[in-house]
Amino acid sequence: MSDQNEKLLNELKEAIINCDEAEATELAHKVLDSGIDPVYSLQKVIGESAVIIGQKFDDGEYFLPHLVMAGDAMMAASKVLESALDTDSSIKSTVVLATVEADMHSVGKNIVGMMLKASGFVVHDLGVDVKSSEIIDKAIALNADFIALSSLLTTTMPYQREVIDELKARGIRDKFKVVIGGGPVRQEWADKIGADGYGKDAIEAVKVFKKLSSK
Amino acid sequence: MLSLLEVAERTQKGPKMLEKDWDMKFYRTITRLVKEYEIKYPGDEYWFNMDDDLVERAFEAALTFLEEMGIYCISTNRVVELTRKEILECINDAPTEIIMGEGRDARVFKQRKIEGKELLNFCPGHHTPFTEDLANLVVKNFAQIQRTDFIEGFNFPVVDGREIIGSPMEAYAARRQLAWMREGIRKAGRPGLAIVYYPINTRVASLLAGMDPDYGLRRTDGILLSLLPDLKMEHDMLAAAITYEDYGCFKLSGSFALSGGFCGGVEGAIIEGIAKPIACTIAYHDYIHYTGVEHVAALSAQKILLQPYNWGRSVVNQVLNTKTHVICMAWVIPTSGCGTETHLFESAIRCIEAPINGANLYAPRHSRSRVNGGQTPLEAEWMLEVSDAVIEQGLDRIKAGEILKKIAAKIGDRKPETGYLINECYDLVHHRPSPEYQKIYESVKEELTKFGLNLK
Repeated sequence: MSDQNEKLLNELKEAIINCDEAEATELAHKVLDSGIDPVYSLQKVIGESAVIIGQKFDDGEYFLPHLVMAGDAMMAASKVLESALDTDSSIKSTVVLATVEADMHSVGKNIVGMMLKASGFVVHDLGVDVKSSEIIDKAIALNADFIALSSLLTTTMPYQREVIDELKARGIRDKFKVVIGGGPVRQEWADKIGADGYGKDAIEAVKVFKKLSSK
Repeated sequence: MLSLLEVAERTQKGPKMLEKDWDMKFYRTITRLVKEYEIKYPGDEYWFNMDDDLVERAFEAALTFLEEMGIYCISTNRVVELTRKEILECINDAPTEIIMGEGRDARVFKQRKIEGKELLNFCPGHHTPFTEDLANLVVKNFAQIQRTDFIEGFNFPVVDGREIIGSPMEAYAARRQLAWMREGIRKAGRPGLAIVYYPINTRVASLLAGMDPDYGLRRTDGILLSLLPDLKMEHDMLAAAITYEDYGCFKLSGSFALSGGFCGGVEGAIIEGIAKPIACTIAYHDYIHYTGVEHVAALSAQKILLQPYNWGRSVVNQVLNTKTHVICMAWVIPTSGCGTETHLFESAIRCIEAPINGANLYAPRHSRSRVNGGQTPLEAEWMLEVSDAVIEQGLDRIKAGEILKKIAAKIGDRKPETGYLINECYDLVHHRPSPEYQKIYESVKEELTKFGLNLK
């Protein structure tokens, strides 16, 4: 790749890190105009910027609104780059994310959602207090790759299991990877209910999603 | 003060707004006000705020913030708009003390003064899961601490051998939680001690199921009804607030701000940390609040207990204690588990800070607590011991800051320890720590004495 193209991809990465949606969109168009492979661009830009954004959040330099804005910039650039792909299929994984039924806590879920978006996942956040059947119906409708479930209360953790049980009952358990998290949730609970992954915090959760994506 | 029915009506008629738009407006407004009112962290040497003018500016910033934002109802996606006059009325109409409990166990829970000399009001234990076999024994142990003014309830995953899932079981679990608490306080010989219902979850069935003068919540007891982060309320909690106001219970709230969230950094968290308890007072008529500044990813002592959050909590509590009637409690949540040296040092940080800042002690649990692993009575008694010593010694902000610096140097880089379950490090039958934990306690006490705190 020429130095000029390399520079262009770095500028796109910077625009996303700087949460500049308009600039990211414009640079994504320039990337396509320059003839750079969109798949390579997506992988490089998404991968590298997500690491930096995550680090900045962890260091206290970035806050939740930065994750929202960086995620928006990432989505805008991705949309442009994906328009040049030959097929309709996205190279990104789709996640249906929710806080389970009877639980109103959203902060942890939101952080994970924003970090995933900034890491190039397509995230459909269904909000808080979402019924198991609704989560599954949405995952089916979107042909999602992941179902991500948050719970902050000991008494709402069983709803994480309910989602897995309902997937089994419908005979579609293998269609989705289920990742769980939340204050009282531990790896032992994930193992017990048969979840595919567990993250103790947002940074770890993103690693789990990436690892499961590559399988 | 604005009535709760008026609030309910505004949640149905206020302007519609998408939650994401609310979140981003929240950030933009607070960021602008931080600059406008010149709220700036002065540096690590300031463990407590020393700038009286900042107290004035931060209060004005919070008033403006509430006036511009209002409160967001996630049930209807509408904004409850507030005028400055309504906000000020609410601040002035709120009580500065609450009478709780009954008979000889009745207590007065008060707003404190900065560097005040009165002993702190105190709520130990819980806000953490316990199994039903330990439930009333654990309550008994915390009620045996004579300085306890009220006890908050706890969560649990199983009741009568059945998993708690679905609103019928949740309602039943709510009733069992309160029955165990009533039994626990009777066993401790304090039948009139106030108890506070810790909601099994936020569904209206579980919120209201415990209202029962004979076996559950009496009119002299309380309930925890908190606003969600970023000034968000919801209908089931409001329904409960209306019902409990009619019944007579007092209400309290988790009213701290989350630095790193939509408020931005610690400076923005100061504005939210002042605005939120006022908003809770309006939305649910909560009068006791655990206040201050935490971090959105509260995974280490460095993130929630040390600088700049210590300074941030100081500003928030100074404003609330001098400009409002908010009754502040310090939310003591060590990141290391009970039974460890780090847990005791972390608790000590908050308990040195609380009397200086004018906050009472709310001592719930380890920040990542496990079932039966939240807190033991030893840590609860330790907290009182430390805060009493601060008052007795007459420590001011400068002297207390010196001690905090020394503790920070000792534990600032430590990774949180898992700790022990309550029955691994504490003897609930005889109300005493295990010999190993007793040794740890004594060595921490000795070290803190060397740091300059006169512990007896």
